[in-house]
Amino acid sequence: MSNVDLLGRRKFIAGLGVAAGAAMVAPAMAVSEKADGVKWDKEIEIVIIGSGFAGLAAGIEATKLGAKDVHIFEKMSYFGGNSAINGGLFAAPGTPMQSKEGVNDSVDRMVADQLAAGCGIADEALLRHVAEHAMEALQMTFDAGSEYHPYLQQLGGHSVARTYQTTVSCGAGITQPLLHKCRELGVHTHNRSKFEGFLVGEKGEVLGVKMRDNYHFGEDQPGKVINIRAKRGVIMATGGFAQNVNLRMAQDPTLTSEVGCTNAPGATGEGMYEMFRLGAVPVHLAHIQSGPWASPDEGGFGYVSNYSIYNFPHSIAINRLTGQRFMDEIADRKTRADAELACRDEQGNALPPILITSYKDSKKHPNTKKVIKYNVGWKFDSVEELASHFNVPLKALKTQIEEYNQYVKSGEDKQFGKNMTKAAGKYIEAPFTVVRLWPKVHYCQGGVQINTKAEVKDSFTGVAIPGLYAAGEVCGGIHGVSRLGSCSIPECMVMGMTAARSMMKA
Amino acid sequence: MNTLKIMLALGLLCLSSASVQAVEIRDHHKEVIGKDCKACHDQGIKQFPSDQACQQCHDVDELAETTARSEEDKWQNPHNNLHYGKELPCQECHGEHKAKKPICSDCHTFKYDKHKE
Repeated sequence: MSNVDLLGRRKFIAGLGVAAGAAMVAPAMAVSEKADGVKWDKEIEIVIIGSGFAGLAAGIEATKLGAKDVHIFEKMSYFGGNSAINGGLFAAPGTPMQSKEGVNDSVDRMVADQLAAGCGIADEALLRHVAEHAMEALQMTFDAGSEYHPYLQQLGGHSVARTYQTTVSCGAGITQPLLHKCRELGVHTHNRSKFEGFLVGEKGEVLGVKMRDNYHFGEDQPGKVINIRAKRGVIMATGGFAQNVNLRMAQDPTLTSEVGCTNAPGATGEGMYEMFRLGAVPVHLAHIQSGPWASPDEGGFGYVSNYSIYNFPHSIAINRLTGQRFMDEIADRKTRADAELACRDEQGNALPPILITSYKDSKKHPNTKKVIKYNVGWKFDSVEELASHFNVPLKALKTQIEEYNQYVKSGEDKQFGKNMTKAAGKYIEAPFTVVRLWPKVHYCQGGVQINTKAEVKDSFTGVAIPGLYAAGEVCGGIHGVSRLGSCSIPECMVMGMTAARSMMKA
Repeated sequence: MNTLKIMLALGLLCLSSASVQAVEIRDHHKEVIGKDCKACHDQGIKQFPSDQACQQCHDVDELAETTARSEEDKWQNPHNNLHYGKELPCQECHGEHKAKKPICSDCHTFKYDKHKE
């Protein structure tokens, strides 16, 4: 399912068209059409495409603001999209837990951290809008019943601890309560419903959508296309395109199938490309982020990702060829992913590096037991045992551990300048736990351009396309070069809420 | 032309025998369904069964009980899991006419020894 070949399929269909006549081709091509003369099968108030954080937050907010007939359409058979399988990490400034832990944070500070990671091309206005409303979004999850670990985390690239994480260490700890809340409020949810294109009015405004009913992802069953009139408009919350190897390689040829993917299989990008056809502005499509905390020993996000996100601050990442560290373990994601991909054997084959943590520190994370139990991580009683298991030069490794432990003591990392605050007192000593690291494509920073009202801008006129709103990963340009960990959930939810608010005011 | 007809007929024969065999994978299905394809194919023979079709006989709560795991691993219950609760349509993991892997294996190395594809 991870090797969806949309372009390949298009080529095949095009070939078929030549042989069998264009009429056969038409139903398979997702394209927008003029709504003039179209027979509407259904008329509803608000159409939301996608059932992840952005779509669910939009559904709840629209209903709270008085919408009576809100429908969420989901392509897959199950709800939640990519949001249901990520790490469930939520960054916000000025939270109750920050006051409790005495963390000094602000909207300005969170925006400053994100601008630094964005390397000068992030959208400050959007980042500020999201940070200003992040607490409201967090409150929406509290109200729906989401539960969080009783501690804050400080993720790579953040200058303070500002990240909540669900008790199940997964986004499902948010999507499940939000989905139930949606239904409780009367939001209609439709699975196996694939977006097939917009239906557009005389002035280029979005009047409705074509939806394919009874759609089975990855199967050869066409389903039936129906035309849905959206009275207030359409919110596109369709996510990124990380699962579409053709499309991601078109943007960044290094993101071959050798680099795995943490996303749900449905993250294939059609919704975004359809908005481009309509005239939306493409922004930063080539900035695609790979998670440096993933493991080649399991698929998707798995168990190791959260394990290593938690453990990086007090662990060492080792190149197995040299037995030495090769990066600041809490540098931003892009820096670390590139450093890991450079770890190769003498023949140039991938040689996934290892993350070494003292068991006394790693065991505080709930995933540690599972990582060992499901053979995606290992526990060793001595450095000798560890070195021999991974074929790492023992002497070099021992020297490296001694050297690093000096940095733990002095608080200054002379090798990579790592911020040692969270490593204080946490020496690398036996017994150890170890996982292998290899980046997986995780997040597409690029997408359609939106403004702080979640309106989609037209590339030629520069003004918003009437009736069209977008929220979440399908939007681009907000984060710039690198998105900081735990900044996507607040963005998805805030922009979903914003889209609903704008739509209800329009 | 005749050759073509024969080939087509042979092809159809292969197809039909393949699907009959496939139905025989599960004994309890053989007993209940027999050769009545419509018992499952409630949306027409050429369409996949609806997500509710299996629930004519199978109860989600009962299935969830059958596959319950210990408290520590409780969310690995395929019929009541962390990501989708009890809502995962049966066809994500089970198929009568083709082998399927549990959806969990997309990301996890859990073992489901009794899983019938």
